[in-house]
Amino acid sequence: MTVAVMKTKAELTLAEQFAGIAAQLPGGVEVASQRRAAIAAFTEYGLPHRRIEAWKYTDLRAVFKDPAPPSVEDIAKLTVADLIVALGPFMDLDAARIVFVNGHHRPQLSNLTGAEAISVRPLSGQIDTLVPLTDDAVIALNTAFVTDGAVVEIPASVTLGKPLLLVSLSAGREARFATVRHTIHAGAKSSATIVELNVTLPGSAVDGQTNTLTHVTVGDGAALTHAKAAVEGGRATHLSNWIARLGADAEYRAFQLSSGLAVGRNQLAVTFGGQHAKLDISGVFLGRGHDHIDTTLTVDHAVPHCESREMFAGVLDGHARGIFQGKVIVRPDAQKTDGKQMARVLMLSPDAEFDSKPELEIYADDVVCGHGSTAVEIDADLMFYCQARGIPPAEAKALLVASFIGEAIDRVTHDGLRGVLEASAAAWLAASDQAKSSHQDRD
Amino acid sequence: MLEIKNLHVKLADEDKVILKGLDLVVPKGQVHAIMGPNGSGKSTLAYVLAGRPDYEVTEGDIRWNGESILEMEPDERAAKGVFLAFQYPMEIPGVAGLTFLRTAANAVRKKRGEAEYTTPEFLKVVRERAAKLNIDIEMLKRPVNVGFSGGEKKRSEILQMAMLEPTLCVLDETDSGLDIDALKVVSEGVNALRSPDRAMLVITHYQRLLDYIVPDTVHVLAHGVIQKSGDKDLARQLEKSGYAEFIDAAA
Repeated sequence: MTVAVMKTKAELTLAEQFAGIAAQLPGGVEVASQRRAAIAAFTEYGLPHRRIEAWKYTDLRAVFKDPAPPSVEDIAKLTVADLIVALGPFMDLDAARIVFVNGHHRPQLSNLTGAEAISVRPLSGQIDTLVPLTDDAVIALNTAFVTDGAVVEIPASVTLGKPLLLVSLSAGREARFATVRHTIHAGAKSSATIVELNVTLPGSAVDGQTNTLTHVTVGDGAALTHAKAAVEGGRATHLSNWIARLGADAEYRAFQLSSGLAVGRNQLAVTFGGQHAKLDISGVFLGRGHDHIDTTLTVDHAVPHCESREMFAGVLDGHARGIFQGKVIVRPDAQKTDGKQMARVLMLSPDAEFDSKPELEIYADDVVCGHGSTAVEIDADLMFYCQARGIPPAEAKALLVASFIGEAIDRVTHDGLRGVLEASAAAWLAASDQAKSSHQDRD
Repeated sequence: MLEIKNLHVKLADEDKVILKGLDLVVPKGQVHAIMGPNGSGKSTLAYVLAGRPDYEVTEGDIRWNGESILEMEPDERAAKGVFLAFQYPMEIPGVAGLTFLRTAANAVRKKRGEAEYTTPEFLKVVRERAAKLNIDIEMLKRPVNVGFSGGEKKRSEILQMAMLEPTLCVLDETDSGLDIDALKVVSEGVNALRSPDRAMLVITHYQRLLDYIVPDTVHVLAHGVIQKSGDKDLARQLEKSGYAEFIDAAA
């Protein structure tokens, strides 16, 4: 006899939504069958909850109660002027771009000038198959619902002259659940900077939902900088997965900025597939109000002689909650592994919460691995020092917060990209102070 | 003119009383030195002048140019011309020295009703003033004081002082940790700022600094009050006799 498990409203809604739109989703017979298998798997798993260890701090049953209608077609009428407003500081980055609105490719808003040396096409144009990926409920939902995304192929030995932006824009008065999947393949000895942007058009629903998955392969000797800024409207739900595999002598520099998210879950899984590869993952998460931002990463040292660095910095105000889970696996053969991990959080409020769970699973004996995690407040002595130099408290605080996250942002080596990330973080910090002072005005 | 009247100060979160009715007047254009044994309250006086929140004034007043500064935040005091050169200058990782200097200089200029420096103006002024203190502009591209030697930190303090153009300069043990060459450079920097519009309070444990920054008046602080005042020769006497008479006085 099977035990009937109560399904949550959200789980039932997602299954019903899939049944309603399955026929409209792109792809042939094989893809349709993969989608059906995925939704069946999701129905079996259900939404992950706190009794599943990897989701202990982010109980999706509790925080993801109302899936918005899936975005099967894009009805938002947008111009390049709208896009410029939505991109904000990121407009200052000299880059080629491919744009998706509510999960649908918009060639009119895209501009691939400068990216001619590589191949960039929308997934919806030709989906032959969807790469089957792990038994994760969020990934299963992505497979079931995905409408579009970018397929980026960087040929061997090609250097991409300027960054490529993969823009996912949420627009419209009604919140939509957009599901996007990107594929990035960096050929051997190629070099490129690719930046995913998840932004909300100002004036649109602030509680949009996205499920994005990016599948990355970095070829032998290739150097890929891969960044993501999920800078959403304030009450967005952002479920994200990056799955990367690195070849021998590859260098993968990854960065993630998260702000304006009511619920954010950033999962990153990186596997070393060849020796002498280098990995640098860093990120900044900014939360206020009741924001909940989770970074969960797994670095798998499957081969010897590889180096990994992880450096995350968070700023939490109000009742915001930050989570950092960092698992580093060093397989028995992975001798001479060099791994270091650090997660630091600046607490701007006594009601903020930070949960940190570093996990080192080391099966090799000749390795250097370390991790650390700290939660601190603004240093009162430094505040006094700044104020004694005439800097007003709000400005002094902004300076010290910027200095705190600077350590993570400085891991981004592309000057232009680092500049726009700093500007985006600064805009969030300034908005935070405005929200506070207007709140105080009301008191 | 700086006027300190019957100043009583305790630690904010402890009952420990440090200053017990201190009186002091420093007219504009003059340099006064405060000397005294360890633990006499010299640094407390410096911090209280700058408005450090760890201290509580329980009685008395501090007036600068006729206006009480006790209720002012540290940044407001800075705008009014008060500057404290720290005994232990702080390190601010992630904030470049030039950014910090420019933010500070423009903050006080704005509050004083002066035009903020444009980037070229600021760089010109900072280059000139840094050169006088033997500070390489490249050093200011690094985070504030991070990785600086003791001497570099003190020179960086005096550069901040030169950039903020204060009218009341308080130097807390500026000579500590300096070798003789660095002491000369720092003293020259301070002397260059001496002017009829400025009052200076130089706090030191040793007479040596006062050979370079020659004071108009020397005060001995012990047990939280000024015990004795005199001209620069008082500093020389103290160098010979030590502080024993003042330590014993209340024992």
